[in-house]
Amino acid sequence: MIPPAHVRRSLRATQLEDIVMTTTVDKAIAWASSNSVWPFGFGLACCAMEMIGMITSARYDVARFGSEVVRATPRQADLIIVSGRVAHKMAEPIRQLYEQMLGPKWVMAMGACSSTAGMFANYAVLQGVDKIIPVDVYVPGCPPRPEAVVEGLLTLQKKIRAGIQPAYRQQQSDA
Amino acid sequence: MPEPIRAISQPTWGDPDLDALASLTEALGEGGVVTHKIDRDELTIVVAPERWVEAATHLRDAEGYDFLSDVVTADWLGYGGDVAGYWGTEAFGGRDLNRSGSWGNAAVPKALGDKRFSVSCHLLKLRTVDPGEHRRVRLQAWLDDGEPIATLIPVYPSADYHEREAWDMMGVRFTGHPNLVRILLPDYWEGHPHRKDSPVGGEPVQFSDEV
Amino acid sequence: MATTERTGEQRAWPTLAVPSPTPSITVPSTDNPDILEINLGPNHPSTHGVLRLVVNLDGEIVVGLRNELGYVHTGIEKNIEQKTYWKAITYVPRMDYLSFFSGEVAFCMAVEKLLELEVPRRAEYLRVIFQELTRLHSHLIFLGTGSVDLGGIALLFYCFRDRDYVLDLFEMVTGQRMHPRYGQVGGVAEDIPRGFDRKARQTIAYLRGRIDEYEDLIGQNPIWRQRTVGVGVMPPEFAIQMAQSGPNVRASGIPWDLRTANGGYGAYRELDYQPVLGRNGDVFDRFWVRVQEMRASLDLIEKCLDGLPEGPHISDDRKVVLPPRHELHTSMESLIHHFKIVTEGYRVPPGEVYAPIESARGEFGFYMISDGSAKPWRARLRPPSFVTLSSLAALATGHYLADLIAILASIDPVMGDCDR
Repeated sequence: MIPPAHVRRSLRATQLEDIVMTTTVDKAIAWASSNSVWPFGFGLACCAMEMIGMITSARYDVARFGSEVVRATPRQADLIIVSGRVAHKMAEPIRQLYEQMLGPKWVMAMGACSSTAGMFANYAVLQGVDKIIPVDVYVPGCPPRPEAVVEGLLTLQKKIRAGIQPAYRQQQSDA
Repeated sequence: MPEPIRAISQPTWGDPDLDALASLTEALGEGGVVTHKIDRDELTIVVAPERWVEAATHLRDAEGYDFLSDVVTADWLGYGGDVAGYWGTEAFGGRDLNRSGSWGNAAVPKALGDKRFSVSCHLLKLRTVDPGEHRRVRLQAWLDDGEPIATLIPVYPSADYHEREAWDMMGVRFTGHPNLVRILLPDYWEGHPHRKDSPVGGEPVQFSDEV
Repeated sequence: MATTERTGEQRAWPTLAVPSPTPSITVPSTDNPDILEINLGPNHPSTHGVLRLVVNLDGEIVVGLRNELGYVHTGIEKNIEQKTYWKAITYVPRMDYLSFFSGEVAFCMAVEKLLELEVPRRAEYLRVIFQELTRLHSHLIFLGTGSVDLGGIALLFYCFRDRDYVLDLFEMVTGQRMHPRYGQVGGVAEDIPRGFDRKARQTIAYLRGRIDEYEDLIGQNPIWRQRTVGVGVMPPEFAIQMAQSGPNVRASGIPWDLRTANGGYGAYRELDYQPVLGRNGDVFDRFWVRVQEMRASLDLIEKCLDGLPEGPHISDDRKVVLPPRHELHTSMESLIHHFKIVTEGYRVPPGEVYAPIESARGEFGFYMISDGSAKPWRARLRPPSFVTLSSLAALATGHYLADLIAILASIDPVMGDCDR
């Protein structure tokens, strides 16, 4: 199979600038880690159905973004997608799971309930999961379409590639 | 010729089971059945709280109500009065019928009981009848704040979880329940949120001037 | 393969005693020092939401079980009391978030019973179509996640792909995939658009082929059968004592379905529907009954589409239902009605009702008390999953831990519905 013309040209290149790409270590690592953000299989309520739909359905296939590898244990996961409303009883397990994740780790608050408690302004729901864990990306919707969650994931990838620290490191540097 | 509008289309309770009411009244005797009401094809039988288990046992064994749908509690604090307007009833800052612009209702009919809490259980005749003859009935008792009622677990084992939830949410105590602890709220929670004098909670939404 | 039979009465059932003293907890006998108490959840890979189980294990065998609920308790009932009836409908599908439209219909039916409001025939038929689509949605997710729990991961992808086709129909009519808030007191919010009939029939034809595939995948598969046949048998006496409803009780042979009880409700009265029954009440039957119910749902939707009557899609009682927008430009009364309904809300006469319908999970109804104002006084959902989970301890004790997962998957709890 003959490669296209621009590829043949680049293969024949001999100038150093044409055959060597220079970058920084941070950028290279960021490029690699942004394309392999492994989510943690964590579904709370209705948003979890759309999240599972995003992960497993052929239409919204999340494997093309490198996030297909859903881990069942937080110790192997990079991204925790808090999908659903967080009751006060669940706040402690979420914090524990977050602590068990190894850095670098990111948090996506999927849906209105985990961003700001959504329509549930009452005694039982934690008014936003960012009260207990630092959040990187908020995805609005009730529930957000799988495409919206994919956009949240892509925003997170852009954020990683731009070199922005994960939210927990920002918190540490603030403190 | 347009199609006539259908009649009321909710699931039916069957004809009100007046035979069960009569036999229950006879079985419990004096002071057992306090009152009853037939409203929108539903039969509600109010019994004294002391005869709660006896009434349920009679309905299950003698009348064939073998299925307990649920056990529900309701808090009637502040119900009724002269007001039924937009901002709720008088007890919570509602509107008075005699104040201008209130466009309140006529007086709301009194509730079936005069105490604060009502405990209702919805019973169903499931296996004991021919298809098409299923009947439902609501057995109800009224309690004051702090007054306990006996548990229905010996009669209907599925009342276990419903009674725990009633204790958790409303603070209605069920004597004889083997495991009356909180079920939905965390163990450290104080108070009973579904009561009318318990606040909704949440936090005030702040609109900040920053971006 | 014996498909459904009308009655399972002739079978000899094992005895399953309700645990004592607490019906929902089994406690191991304390003389064995090797019993291990482990914690399952609230976050575990089987995606039934956040259920926590405290399990006592003797080796691999479950000897004690206790449920810990409440990890997604949202206080919805308290919120509903603060909102008008119209606004409160938005909360309801988020309880049982898999059969979301059934929740909306249950709420609307309870309010309509209080109002003594008549619903047009076309609205009833549309409600049935979407209730059955919701049942399909719920059963597809059940099948997908249930088979993942048992290890058959392929069905997860198939079922979620097909779920998208069902949600496409919702999106076509309402604009929103899940939680469409399509149910409205008096009927449905909007009429179906023009291409719906054709697209629905295409989806039905496609899904029929898919259900054939699912039956092939789980019906004769020896691994599946070994893991599910004879596991977690629920005898009919136990089922009635523990107030089980829905496909769980039909898998034990009891022909109890609220769509046919006393003639049924809504448009089910005019549709000739036979409940799908199982024979043995084990995990296999609970899966099989739901797969057959998917097929029955497709038939029902097709019957409704064939017989869809013309007419309004919502009642025309202006005190309760918003007038059509074009009337607002010409009629003063419509404007006033619109204003009153949107700002104050419609007032519902005082009373208390309980109107249960058949959701994908079982008996699902609202106990609603009205005080005559525009806000509900008490709106309590009778949660089918809550009641189902109280029987888990008795069903799973004595089985292996892997069987516990299979039984939990087969009784299909949804924690949003359980905890509300």
